[in-house]
Amino acid sequence: MAARTRLSLLLPKSLHPLRTHRHVHTEAAVKEPSYPPIVASLTAKSKAARLRQIEERVKKICASPLDEKLSLITRIQRMKFVVYPQTFARNPDRWHQHFTKTAYIPGLPEKFSPGAESPPAAQDHTAATGIDDAAFSEIRDLVTRVILHEHWHKVKKHLNPQVSFYWRRGTRTIPKGHRKGRLEPIRFQIDDHPHSQIRIPQQLPQFAPLEASYTAEVPEVPYAPNLMPLFRRQYENNIFTGAKLPDPVCYGHTQFHLVPDRYHRERLARQQQSDQVEAFLRANAVASLFAWTGAQATYQGFWNYEDVSRPFVSQAVITDGHYFSFFCYQLNTVALSSEVDGNNPRKNILWGTESLRLYQDVQDGEVVGLDDGVVRLLVQFLMNQPHS
Amino acid sequence: MPVTRLLHPLYQLGNPQLRIFRPNWFLTLVRPGKEQPPDTVQFRVPMEMTKYDIKNYLEKIYNVPVGAIRTRIQFGSNKKRNHLNQKVKQPDYKVAYVQLAQGQTFTFPNIFPEKDQTPTEGSMEEMQEKFMEDEKQRQKLDPRRGGVTEWFGL
Repeated sequence: MAARTRLSLLLPKSLHPLRTHRHVHTEAAVKEPSYPPIVASLTAKSKAARLRQIEERVKKICASPLDEKLSLITRIQRMKFVVYPQTFARNPDRWHQHFTKTAYIPGLPEKFSPGAESPPAAQDHTAATGIDDAAFSEIRDLVTRVILHEHWHKVKKHLNPQVSFYWRRGTRTIPKGHRKGRLEPIRFQIDDHPHSQIRIPQQLPQFAPLEASYTAEVPEVPYAPNLMPLFRRQYENNIFTGAKLPDPVCYGHTQFHLVPDRYHRERLARQQQSDQVEAFLRANAVASLFAWTGAQATYQGFWNYEDVSRPFVSQAVITDGHYFSFFCYQLNTVALSSEVDGNNPRKNILWGTESLRLYQDVQDGEVVGLDDGVVRLLVQFLMNQPHS
Repeated sequence: MPVTRLLHPLYQLGNPQLRIFRPNWFLTLVRPGKEQPPDTVQFRVPMEMTKYDIKNYLEKIYNVPVGAIRTRIQFGSNKKRNHLNQKVKQPDYKVAYVQLAQGQTFTFPNIFPEKDQTPTEGSMEEMQEKFMEDEKQRQKLDPRRGGVTEWFGL
Protein backbone atom coordinates (compact mmCIF):
# COMPACT_ATOMS: atom_id res chain seq x y z
CA MET A 1 0.00 0.00 0.00
CA ALA A 2 2.03 2.92 1.20
CA ALA A 3 5.18 1.01 0.34
CA ARG A 4 3.84 -0.02 -3.03
CA THR A 5 2.95 3.53 -3.99
CA ARG A 6 6.38 4.83 -3.11
CA LEU A 7 7.77 6.20 -6.29
CA SER A 8 11.32 5.67 -7.51
CA LEU A 9 13.83 8.44 -6.98
CA LEU A 10 14.29 8.94 -10.66
CA LEU A 11 10.96 10.52 -11.60
CA PRO A 12 10.09 10.66 -15.31
CA LYS A 13 9.66 14.20 -16.68
CA SER A 14 6.08 13.80 -17.72
CA LEU A 15 4.40 12.23 -14.72
CA HIS A 16 0.85 12.95 -15.72
CA PRO A 17 -0.31 10.37 -18.29
CA LEU A 18 -2.31 12.90 -20.39
CA ARG A 19 0.58 15.30 -20.61
CA THR A 20 2.51 12.92 -22.86
CA HIS A 21 0.35 14.24 -25.73
CA ARG A 22 2.60 17.29 -25.84
CA HIS A 23 5.43 15.18 -27.18
CA VAL A 24 3.25 13.48 -29.76
CA HIS A 25 2.02 16.66 -31.56
CA THR A 26 4.87 19.13 -31.61
CA GLU A 27 4.00 21.05 -34.82
CA ALA A 28 0.37 21.94 -34.20
CA ALA A 29 0.61 23.90 -30.95
CA VAL A 30 -2.93 25.27 -31.32
CA LYS A 31 -5.20 23.79 -28.78
CA GLU A 32 -8.79 23.68 -29.96
CA PRO A 33 -11.17 25.23 -27.45
CA SER A 34 -13.31 22.63 -25.91
CA TYR A 35 -16.00 25.14 -24.83
CA PRO A 36 -17.66 27.94 -26.90
CA PRO A 37 -16.34 31.51 -26.26
CA ILE A 38 -17.79 33.34 -23.27
CA VAL A 39 -19.82 36.29 -24.57
CA ALA A 40 -22.72 38.28 -23.27
CA SER A 41 -26.17 36.91 -23.84
CA LEU A 42 -28.28 38.05 -26.76
CA THR A 43 -31.72 38.12 -25.20
CA ALA A 44 -31.15 39.17 -21.59
CA LYS A 45 -32.48 42.51 -20.35
CA SER A 46 -29.02 43.95 -19.68
CA LYS A 47 -26.66 46.55 -21.10
CA ALA A 48 -24.16 43.87 -22.15
CA ALA A 49 -26.90 42.07 -24.07
CA ARG A 50 -27.85 45.31 -25.84
CA LEU A 51 -24.23 45.89 -26.81
CA ARG A 52 -23.98 42.35 -28.12
CA GLN A 53 -27.14 42.83 -30.17
CA ILE A 54 -25.66 45.96 -31.74
CA GLU A 55 -22.42 44.10 -32.43
CA GLU A 56 -24.28 41.24 -34.11
CA ARG A 57 -26.19 43.72 -36.25
CA VAL A 58 -22.98 45.45 -37.29
CA LYS A 59 -21.39 42.11 -38.20
CA LYS A 60 -24.46 41.14 -40.19
CA ILE A 61 -24.36 44.39 -42.15
CA CYS A 62 -20.61 44.05 -42.82
CA ALA A 63 -21.11 40.54 -44.16
CA SER A 64 -24.05 41.25 -46.47
CA PRO A 65 -23.87 42.12 -50.19
CA LEU A 66 -24.06 45.72 -51.36
CA ASP A 67 -27.73 46.36 -52.01
CA GLU A 68 -28.77 44.51 -48.89
CA LYS A 69 -26.18 46.52 -46.96
CA LEU A 70 -27.73 49.75 -48.15
CA SER A 71 -31.20 48.65 -47.20
CA LEU A 72 -30.06 47.40 -43.78
CA ILE A 73 -28.29 50.67 -42.98
CA THR A 74 -31.27 52.81 -43.95
CA ARG A 75 -34.02 50.56 -42.70
CA ILE A 76 -35.00 51.98 -39.31
CA GLN A 77 -36.75 55.34 -39.54
CA ARG A 78 -36.53 57.80 -36.68
CA MET A 79 -36.77 61.55 -36.27
CA LYS A 80 -33.79 63.17 -37.97
CA PHE A 81 -32.55 66.64 -38.75
CA VAL A 82 -33.03 67.57 -42.40
CA VAL A 83 -30.05 69.62 -43.52
CA TYR A 84 -30.70 71.86 -46.50
CA PRO A 85 -27.49 72.78 -48.33
CA GLN A 86 -28.97 76.15 -49.30
CA THR A 87 -30.15 77.44 -45.98
CA PHE A 88 -31.35 80.81 -44.69
CA ALA A 89 -29.69 80.30 -41.29
CA ARG A 90 -26.94 82.67 -40.20
CA ASN A 91 -23.31 81.47 -40.34
CA PRO A 92 -24.37 78.07 -41.61
CA ASP A 93 -20.90 77.10 -42.79
CA ARG A 94 -19.63 76.50 -39.24
CA TRP A 95 -22.65 74.38 -38.41
CA HIS A 96 -22.36 72.29 -41.59
CA GLN A 97 -18.64 71.82 -41.02
CA HIS A 98 -19.35 70.55 -37.52
CA PHE A 99 -22.06 68.13 -38.70
CA THR A 100 -19.84 66.64 -41.41
CA LYS A 101 -16.43 66.89 -39.69
CA THR A 102 -15.01 69.01 -42.49
CA ALA A 103 -12.08 71.40 -42.31
CA TYR A 104 -12.14 74.38 -44.64
CA ILE A 105 -8.95 75.45 -46.41
CA PRO A 106 -9.21 78.72 -48.33
CA GLY A 107 -7.79 78.54 -51.84
CA LEU A 108 -7.67 75.54 -54.12
CA PRO A 109 -5.17 72.65 -53.91
CA GLU A 110 -1.85 72.96 -55.77
CA LYS A 111 -3.27 71.32 -58.86
CA PHE A 112 -5.43 74.35 -59.62
CA SER A 113 -3.08 77.09 -58.45
CA PRO A 114 -2.52 79.85 -61.04
CA GLY A 115 1.18 79.00 -61.48
CA ALA A 116 0.44 75.45 -62.52
CA GLU A 117 0.36 74.12 -66.06
CA SER A 118 -2.18 75.75 -68.34
CA PRO A 119 -4.53 73.54 -70.27
CA PRO A 120 -3.17 73.25 -73.80
CA ALA A 121 -5.74 73.81 -76.48
CA ALA A 122 -8.61 75.15 -74.48
CA GLN A 123 -6.87 78.39 -73.67
CA ASP A 124 -6.69 79.38 -77.32
CA HIS A 125 -10.33 78.52 -77.86
CA THR A 126 -11.63 80.72 -75.11
CA ALA A 127 -9.20 83.60 -75.48
CA ALA A 128 -9.84 84.10 -79.17
CA THR A 129 -13.61 83.92 -79.02
CA GLY A 130 -15.92 84.65 -76.12
CA ILE A 131 -17.10 88.14 -76.84
CA ASP A 132 -20.80 87.68 -77.05
CA ASP A 133 -22.44 86.53 -73.87
CA ALA A 134 -24.89 84.15 -75.47
CA ALA A 135 -22.32 82.65 -77.82
CA PHE A 136 -19.83 82.35 -75.00
CA SER A 137 -21.80 79.78 -73.08
CA GLU A 138 -22.37 77.82 -76.28
CA ILE A 139 -18.67 77.84 -76.99
CA ARG A 140 -17.95 76.83 -73.45
CA ASP A 141 -20.29 73.87 -73.78
CA LEU A 142 -18.70 72.92 -77.05
CA VAL A 143 -15.24 73.13 -75.58
CA THR A 144 -16.14 71.01 -72.61
CA ARG A 145 -17.87 68.45 -74.74
CA VAL A 146 -14.90 68.25 -77.08
CA ILE A 147 -12.44 67.89 -74.25
CA LEU A 148 -14.43 65.27 -72.46
CA HIS A 149 -15.07 63.26 -75.60
CA GLU A 150 -11.45 63.47 -76.49
CA HIS A 151 -10.09 62.20 -73.24
CA TRP A 152 -12.54 59.69 -72.03
CA HIS A 153 -15.93 58.59 -73.22
CA LYS A 154 -18.55 57.01 -71.01
CA VAL A 155 -19.00 60.25 -69.08
CA LYS A 156 -22.47 60.83 -67.71
CA LYS A 157 -23.95 64.29 -67.67
CA HIS A 158 -27.06 64.37 -65.66
CA LEU A 159 -29.52 67.27 -65.46
CA ASN A 160 -31.38 67.94 -62.23
CA PRO A 161 -30.31 64.85 -60.32
CA GLN A 162 -31.11 64.06 -56.73
CA VAL A 163 -28.34 63.50 -54.22
CA SER A 164 -29.18 62.21 -50.75
CA PHE A 165 -27.20 61.02 -47.78
CA TYR A 166 -28.09 59.82 -44.31
CA TRP A 167 -25.64 59.78 -41.40
CA ARG A 168 -25.34 59.98 -37.65
CA ARG A 169 -23.08 62.25 -35.61
CA GLY A 170 -22.98 63.07 -31.94
CA THR A 171 -25.43 62.12 -29.22
CA ARG A 172 -28.06 63.87 -27.20
CA THR A 173 -29.85 63.02 -23.99
CA ILE A 174 -33.56 62.45 -24.56
CA PRO A 175 -35.25 65.13 -22.41
CA LYS A 176 -38.75 63.70 -22.02
CA GLY A 177 -40.74 60.61 -22.69
CA HIS A 178 -40.47 56.98 -21.79
CA ARG A 179 -36.85 56.99 -22.97
CA LYS A 180 -35.88 59.97 -20.85
CA GLY A 181 -32.25 60.20 -19.79
CA ARG A 182 -30.90 57.80 -22.40
CA LEU A 183 -28.32 58.75 -25.01
CA GLU A 184 -29.52 58.84 -28.57
CA PRO A 185 -27.45 59.46 -31.71
CA ILE A 186 -28.34 62.59 -33.69
CA ARG A 187 -29.39 61.66 -37.21
CA PHE A 188 -29.06 63.88 -40.29
CA GLN A 189 -30.35 63.68 -43.82
CA ILE A 190 -29.45 65.77 -46.84
CA ASP A 191 -31.69 65.83 -49.91
CA ASP A 192 -29.97 67.94 -52.50
CA HIS A 193 -31.01 68.90 -56.04
CA PRO A 194 -27.99 70.30 -57.86
CA HIS A 195 -28.46 71.87 -61.25
CA SER A 196 -26.34 69.28 -63.07
CA GLN A 197 -23.84 66.61 -62.36
CA ILE A 198 -20.95 64.96 -64.20
CA ARG A 199 -20.08 61.41 -63.23
CA ILE A 200 -17.17 59.28 -64.38
CA PRO A 201 -16.43 55.55 -64.23
CA GLN A 202 -13.14 56.00 -62.36
CA GLN A 203 -12.23 57.75 -59.12
CA LEU A 204 -10.51 61.15 -59.33
CA PRO A 205 -7.02 61.23 -57.80
CA GLN A 206 -6.77 62.56 -54.27
CA PHE A 207 -5.69 66.13 -53.59
CA ALA A 208 -3.91 65.49 -50.31
CA PRO A 209 -2.86 62.31 -48.49
CA LEU A 210 -5.11 60.93 -45.77
CA GLU A 211 -2.58 61.63 -43.04
CA ALA A 212 -2.47 65.32 -43.88
CA SER A 213 -6.03 65.65 -42.63
CA TYR A 214 -5.08 64.65 -39.09
CA THR A 215 -3.87 68.16 -38.31
CA ALA A 216 -6.78 70.01 -39.91
CA GLU A 217 -9.13 71.96 -37.66
CA VAL A 218 -12.83 71.34 -37.58
CA PRO A 219 -14.97 74.00 -35.84
CA GLU A 220 -16.71 72.57 -32.79
CA VAL A 221 -20.20 73.83 -32.11
CA PRO A 222 -21.29 72.74 -28.63
CA TYR A 223 -24.96 73.61 -29.20
CA ALA A 224 -27.80 71.38 -30.33
CA PRO A 225 -28.53 71.50 -34.07
CA ASN A 226 -32.07 72.78 -33.61
CA LEU A 227 -30.66 76.15 -32.50
CA MET A 228 -29.31 76.76 -36.00
CA PRO A 229 -32.41 76.61 -36.76
CA LEU A 230 -32.73 73.06 -38.06
CA PHE A 231 -35.91 71.02 -38.04
CA ARG A 232 -36.61 67.34 -37.54
CA ARG A 233 -38.77 65.04 -39.58
CA GLN A 234 -39.13 61.33 -40.04
CA TYR A 235 -39.24 59.84 -43.51
CA GLU A 236 -37.34 57.45 -45.71
CA ASN A 237 -33.59 57.43 -45.18
CA ASN A 238 -32.23 57.89 -48.70
CA ILE A 239 -28.64 57.39 -49.84
CA PHE A 240 -28.39 58.24 -53.51
CA THR A 241 -25.57 59.59 -55.71
CA GLY A 242 -27.68 60.48 -58.74
CA ALA A 243 -27.60 57.05 -60.33
CA LYS A 244 -28.91 53.75 -59.09
CA LEU A 245 -26.57 51.18 -57.58
CA PRO A 246 -25.78 48.93 -60.61
CA ASP A 247 -24.67 51.91 -62.75
CA PRO A 248 -20.96 51.54 -63.69
CA VAL A 249 -20.51 55.32 -63.89
CA CYS A 250 -20.70 55.76 -60.15
CA TYR A 251 -17.86 58.10 -59.18
CA GLY A 252 -18.50 61.80 -59.08
CA HIS A 253 -16.59 64.46 -60.96
CA THR A 254 -18.25 67.87 -60.83
CA GLN A 255 -21.51 69.29 -59.70
CA PHE A 256 -23.01 72.61 -60.69
CA HIS A 257 -25.21 74.52 -58.30
CA LEU A 258 -27.28 77.59 -58.93
CA VAL A 259 -27.84 80.21 -56.26
CA PRO A 260 -31.59 80.89 -55.88
CA ASP A 261 -32.93 84.43 -56.15
CA ARG A 262 -33.47 84.64 -52.41
CA TYR A 263 -29.73 84.48 -51.75
CA HIS A 264 -28.51 86.75 -54.49
CA ARG A 265 -25.95 89.32 -53.53
CA GLU A 266 -28.13 92.35 -54.22
CA ARG A 267 -30.94 91.09 -52.04
CA LEU A 268 -28.63 90.35 -49.14
CA ALA A 269 -26.93 93.72 -49.58
CA ARG A 270 -30.33 95.40 -49.28
CA GLN A 271 -30.82 93.63 -45.97
CA GLN A 272 -27.27 94.58 -44.89
CA GLN A 273 -26.20 90.97 -44.70
CA SER A 274 -23.45 90.90 -47.31
CA ASP A 275 -21.14 88.88 -45.07
CA GLN A 276 -23.59 85.98 -45.26
CA VAL A 277 -23.01 85.52 -49.01
CA GLU A 278 -19.69 83.70 -48.66
CA ALA A 279 -20.90 81.73 -45.64
CA PHE A 280 -23.92 80.57 -47.64
CA LEU A 281 -21.78 79.41 -50.55
CA ARG A 282 -19.38 77.54 -48.28
CA ALA A 283 -22.20 75.87 -46.39
CA ASN A 284 -23.81 74.86 -49.66
CA ALA A 285 -20.55 73.35 -50.90
CA VAL A 286 -19.86 71.48 -47.65
CA ALA A 287 -23.30 69.93 -47.43
CA SER A 288 -23.74 69.07 -51.13
CA LEU A 289 -20.28 67.63 -51.64
CA PHE A 290 -20.31 65.70 -48.37
CA ALA A 291 -23.62 64.14 -49.35
CA TRP A 292 -22.36 63.25 -52.83
CA THR A 293 -19.00 61.79 -51.76
CA GLY A 294 -20.60 60.03 -48.80
CA ALA A 295 -23.17 58.43 -51.08
CA GLN A 296 -20.41 57.39 -53.51
CA ALA A 297 -18.49 55.79 -50.63
CA THR A 298 -21.62 53.96 -49.46
CA TYR A 299 -22.16 52.66 -52.99
CA GLN A 300 -18.68 51.11 -52.71
CA GLY A 301 -19.54 49.44 -49.43
CA PHE A 302 -17.97 51.85 -46.93
CA TRP A 303 -20.16 52.95 -44.08
CA ASN A 304 -19.98 54.08 -40.50
CA TYR A 305 -18.31 50.96 -39.12
CA GLU A 306 -16.22 50.26 -42.24
CA ASP A 307 -14.29 53.40 -42.94
CA VAL A 308 -13.10 54.38 -46.42
CA SER A 309 -9.77 52.90 -47.46
CA ARG A 310 -9.09 55.59 -50.07
CA PRO A 311 -10.24 59.21 -50.21
CA PHE A 312 -13.24 60.07 -52.37
CA VAL A 313 -12.88 63.31 -54.28
CA SER A 314 -15.41 65.53 -56.00
CA GLN A 315 -15.66 69.09 -57.24
CA ALA A 316 -18.39 71.68 -57.36
CA VAL A 317 -18.99 75.03 -58.98
CA ILE A 318 -21.58 77.27 -57.36
CA THR A 319 -22.72 80.22 -59.40
CA ASP A 320 -25.43 82.76 -59.83
CA GLY A 321 -24.44 83.51 -63.40
CA HIS A 322 -22.18 86.42 -62.57
CA TYR A 323 -20.03 85.18 -59.70
CA PHE A 324 -18.41 81.75 -59.67
CA SER A 325 -17.05 79.84 -56.69
CA PHE A 326 -15.01 76.67 -57.06
CA PHE A 327 -14.84 73.98 -54.41
CA CYS A 328 -12.92 70.71 -54.12
CA TYR A 329 -13.92 68.19 -51.50
CA GLN A 330 -12.01 65.19 -50.22
CA LEU A 331 -13.88 62.65 -48.13
CA ASN A 332 -11.42 60.92 -45.81
CA THR A 333 -13.83 59.43 -43.32
CA VAL A 334 -17.42 58.31 -43.16
CA ALA A 335 -17.18 57.09 -39.56
CA LEU A 336 -18.90 60.00 -37.82
CA SER A 337 -21.11 58.42 -35.18
CA SER A 338 -20.17 58.72 -31.53
CA GLU A 339 -18.98 55.12 -31.08
CA VAL A 340 -16.29 55.32 -33.76
CA ASP A 341 -15.54 59.03 -33.75
CA GLY A 342 -13.57 59.03 -30.50
CA ASN A 343 -10.37 57.56 -31.93
CA ASN A 344 -10.82 58.62 -35.53
CA PRO A 345 -8.21 61.30 -36.31
CA ARG A 346 -9.26 61.67 -39.95
CA LYS A 347 -11.17 64.71 -41.10
CA ASN A 348 -12.77 65.64 -44.38
CA ILE A 349 -11.34 68.62 -46.24
CA LEU A 350 -12.96 71.30 -48.36
CA TRP A 351 -10.86 73.61 -50.50
CA GLY A 352 -12.71 76.61 -51.83
CA THR A 353 -12.37 80.03 -53.38
CA GLU A 354 -14.19 83.24 -52.72
CA SER A 355 -16.71 84.15 -55.39
CA LEU A 356 -14.91 85.37 -58.49
CA ARG A 357 -16.50 87.67 -61.03
CA LEU A 358 -16.73 86.15 -64.47
CA TYR A 359 -17.38 89.42 -66.29
CA GLN A 360 -17.72 93.02 -65.27
CA ASP A 361 -20.72 94.04 -67.30
CA VAL A 362 -22.74 93.30 -70.41
CA GLN A 363 -23.20 96.38 -72.57
CA ASP A 364 -25.00 96.32 -75.91
CA GLY A 365 -24.48 92.63 -76.39
CA GLU A 366 -20.76 92.87 -75.59
CA VAL A 367 -19.17 91.29 -72.56
CA VAL A 368 -16.92 93.78 -70.81
CA GLY A 369 -14.05 92.60 -68.66
CA LEU A 370 -14.29 88.85 -69.11
CA ASP A 371 -12.02 87.32 -66.49
CA ASP A 372 -9.81 84.77 -68.20
CA GLY A 373 -8.59 83.37 -64.92
CA VAL A 374 -12.07 82.30 -64.00
CA VAL A 375 -12.62 80.69 -67.37
CA ARG A 376 -9.32 78.90 -67.10
CA LEU A 377 -10.18 77.63 -63.63
CA LEU A 378 -13.47 76.35 -64.95
CA VAL A 379 -11.79 74.51 -67.78
CA GLN A 380 -9.16 73.11 -65.43
CA PHE A 381 -11.90 71.86 -63.18
CA LEU A 382 -13.65 70.11 -66.00
CA MET A 383 -10.41 68.72 -67.35
CA ASN A 384 -9.43 67.08 -64.08
CA GLN A 385 -9.35 63.42 -64.95
CA PRO A 386 -8.41 60.21 -63.13
CA HIS A 387 -5.09 58.46 -63.76
CA SER A 388 -5.91 56.19 -66.69
CA MET B 1 -50.55 99.32 -31.25
CA PRO B 2 -47.24 101.16 -31.30
CA VAL B 3 -48.69 104.30 -29.80
CA THR B 4 -51.97 104.54 -27.97
CA ARG B 5 -54.31 107.21 -29.09
CA LEU B 6 -52.75 110.42 -27.75
CA LEU B 7 -54.61 113.65 -27.55
CA HIS B 8 -52.15 116.33 -28.61
CA PRO B 9 -52.89 119.98 -27.79
CA LEU B 10 -54.65 121.77 -30.63
CA TYR B 11 -52.21 123.67 -32.77
CA GLN B 12 -52.69 127.36 -33.36
CA LEU B 13 -50.42 129.64 -35.29
CA GLY B 14 -47.43 130.49 -33.19
CA ASN B 15 -47.56 127.45 -30.87
CA PRO B 16 -44.40 125.42 -30.58
CA GLN B 17 -44.54 122.18 -32.58
CA LEU B 18 -43.58 119.54 -30.07
CA ARG B 19 -44.77 116.03 -30.73
CA ILE B 20 -42.63 113.12 -29.66
CA PHE B 21 -43.73 109.72 -30.86
CA ARG B 22 -42.48 106.89 -28.76
CA PRO B 23 -43.73 103.36 -29.09
CA ASN B 24 -45.73 101.97 -26.25
CA TRP B 25 -43.92 98.66 -26.44
CA PHE B 26 -41.25 97.56 -24.03
CA LEU B 27 -38.84 94.67 -24.56
CA THR B 28 -37.48 92.58 -21.71
CA LEU B 29 -34.09 90.95 -22.06
CA VAL B 30 -34.20 87.56 -20.34
CA ARG B 31 -31.69 84.88 -19.55
CA PRO B 32 -32.25 81.93 -21.92
CA GLY B 33 -33.64 78.82 -20.23
CA LYS B 34 -31.75 76.53 -22.61
CA GLU B 35 -28.19 77.18 -23.77
CA GLN B 36 -28.22 79.48 -26.84
CA PRO B 37 -25.40 80.19 -29.33
CA PRO B 38 -23.32 83.27 -28.45
CA ASP B 39 -24.89 85.50 -31.10
CA THR B 40 -28.46 84.89 -29.92
CA VAL B 41 -30.24 87.22 -27.49
CA GLN B 42 -33.60 86.30 -25.98
CA PHE B 43 -36.35 88.87 -25.35
CA ARG B 44 -39.88 88.83 -24.01
CA VAL B 45 -41.88 91.12 -26.24
CA PRO B 46 -45.51 92.30 -26.28
CA MET B 47 -47.86 90.01 -28.16
CA GLU B 48 -48.75 92.61 -30.79
CA MET B 49 -45.16 93.08 -31.99
CA THR B 50 -44.09 91.39 -35.20
CA LYS B 51 -40.60 90.38 -36.33
CA TYR B 52 -40.25 93.52 -38.41
CA ASP B 53 -41.38 95.65 -35.48
CA ILE B 54 -38.75 94.11 -33.22
CA LYS B 55 -36.06 94.56 -35.87
CA ASN B 56 -36.88 98.23 -36.40
CA TYR B 57 -37.21 98.81 -32.65
CA LEU B 58 -33.76 97.44 -31.90
CA GLU B 59 -32.06 99.01 -34.89
CA LYS B 60 -33.51 102.50 -34.62
CA ILE B 61 -33.76 103.02 -30.87
CA TYR B 62 -30.80 101.04 -29.63
CA ASN B 63 -28.57 100.84 -32.74
CA VAL B 64 -28.27 97.08 -32.42
CA PRO B 65 -27.43 95.37 -35.75
CA VAL B 66 -29.98 92.61 -36.13
CA GLY B 67 -29.37 89.59 -38.36
CA ALA B 68 -32.31 87.24 -37.99
CA ILE B 69 -35.32 87.13 -35.67
CA ARG B 70 -37.52 84.22 -34.76
CA THR B 71 -40.54 84.53 -32.50
CA ARG B 72 -42.83 82.17 -30.73
CA ILE B 73 -45.76 82.55 -28.36
CA GLN B 74 -45.50 80.82 -25.02
CA PHE B 75 -48.80 79.59 -23.70
CA GLY B 76 -49.22 80.45 -20.01
CA SER B 77 -50.66 77.51 -18.12
CA ASN B 78 -54.32 77.41 -17.19
CA LYS B 79 -54.04 74.29 -15.09
CA LYS B 80 -53.52 75.57 -11.56
CA ARG B 81 -56.53 76.15 -9.40
CA ASN B 82 -57.00 78.56 -6.52
CA HIS B 83 -58.64 77.97 -3.14
CA LEU B 84 -62.07 78.31 -4.80
CA ASN B 85 -61.18 75.59 -7.31
CA GLN B 86 -61.24 78.11 -10.14
CA LYS B 87 -58.68 77.80 -12.86
CA VAL B 88 -55.99 80.48 -12.65
CA LYS B 89 -54.49 81.52 -15.97
CA GLN B 90 -50.88 82.59 -16.17
CA PRO B 91 -50.48 85.22 -18.89
CA ASP B 92 -49.25 84.27 -22.37
CA TYR B 93 -46.17 86.01 -23.66
CA LYS B 94 -44.19 86.23 -26.87
CA VAL B 95 -40.49 85.29 -26.95
CA ALA B 96 -38.12 86.62 -29.61
CA TYR B 97 -34.76 85.07 -30.41
CA VAL B 98 -32.62 87.76 -32.03
CA GLN B 99 -29.40 86.80 -33.84
CA LEU B 100 -26.98 89.69 -33.99
CA ALA B 101 -25.28 90.69 -37.22
CA GLN B 102 -21.66 91.66 -37.91
CA GLY B 103 -20.26 88.86 -35.78
CA GLN B 104 -21.33 90.41 -32.48
CA THR B 105 -21.90 88.20 -29.48
CA PHE B 106 -23.76 88.61 -26.24
CA THR B 107 -23.76 86.63 -23.01
CA PHE B 108 -26.34 87.27 -20.36
CA PRO B 109 -24.48 88.71 -17.33
CA ASN B 110 -24.59 87.25 -13.87
CA ILE B 111 -26.97 89.59 -12.04
CA PHE B 112 -26.55 87.93 -8.65
CA PRO B 113 -22.82 87.55 -8.10
CA GLU B 114 -21.73 85.83 -4.93
CA LYS B 115 -20.76 88.40 -2.32
CA ASP B 116 -17.71 87.87 -0.20
CA GLN B 117 -19.12 86.91 3.18
CA THR B 118 -16.21 88.07 5.37
CA PRO B 119 -17.43 90.93 7.61
CA THR B 120 -15.42 94.11 8.12
CA GLU B 121 -12.81 94.27 10.88
CA GLY B 122 -13.83 95.28 14.40
CA SER B 123 -17.55 95.14 13.66
CA MET B 124 -20.35 93.45 15.59
CA GLU B 125 -20.83 90.73 12.93
CA GLU B 126 -17.21 89.72 13.08
CA MET B 127 -17.33 89.29 16.85
CA GLN B 128 -20.55 87.32 16.63
CA GLU B 129 -19.12 85.04 13.97
CA LYS B 130 -16.00 84.45 15.99
CA PHE B 131 -18.07 83.64 19.03
CA MET B 132 -20.21 81.15 17.06
CA GLU B 133 -17.12 79.52 15.65
CA ASP B 134 -15.59 79.12 19.09
CA GLU B 135 -18.83 77.58 20.39
CA LYS B 136 -18.87 75.07 17.56
CA GLN B 137 -15.24 74.24 18.16
CA ARG B 138 -16.00 73.56 21.84
CA GLN B 139 -18.83 71.22 20.91
CA LYS B 140 -16.53 69.14 18.68
CA LEU B 141 -14.80 66.14 20.20
CA ASP B 142 -11.09 65.79 20.74
CA PRO B 143 -9.63 65.09 17.27
CA ARG B 144 -7.16 62.70 18.79
CA ARG B 145 -10.01 60.33 19.56
CA GLY B 146 -10.58 59.72 15.84
CA GLY B 147 -14.37 60.12 15.86
CA VAL B 148 -15.04 57.81 18.78
CA THR B 149 -17.69 59.23 21.14
CA GLU B 150 -17.14 60.03 24.80
CA TRP B 151 -19.73 57.56 26.04
CA PHE B 152 -16.97 55.04 26.40
CA GLY B 153 -14.01 55.60 28.61
CA LEU B 154 -13.53 56.90 32.09
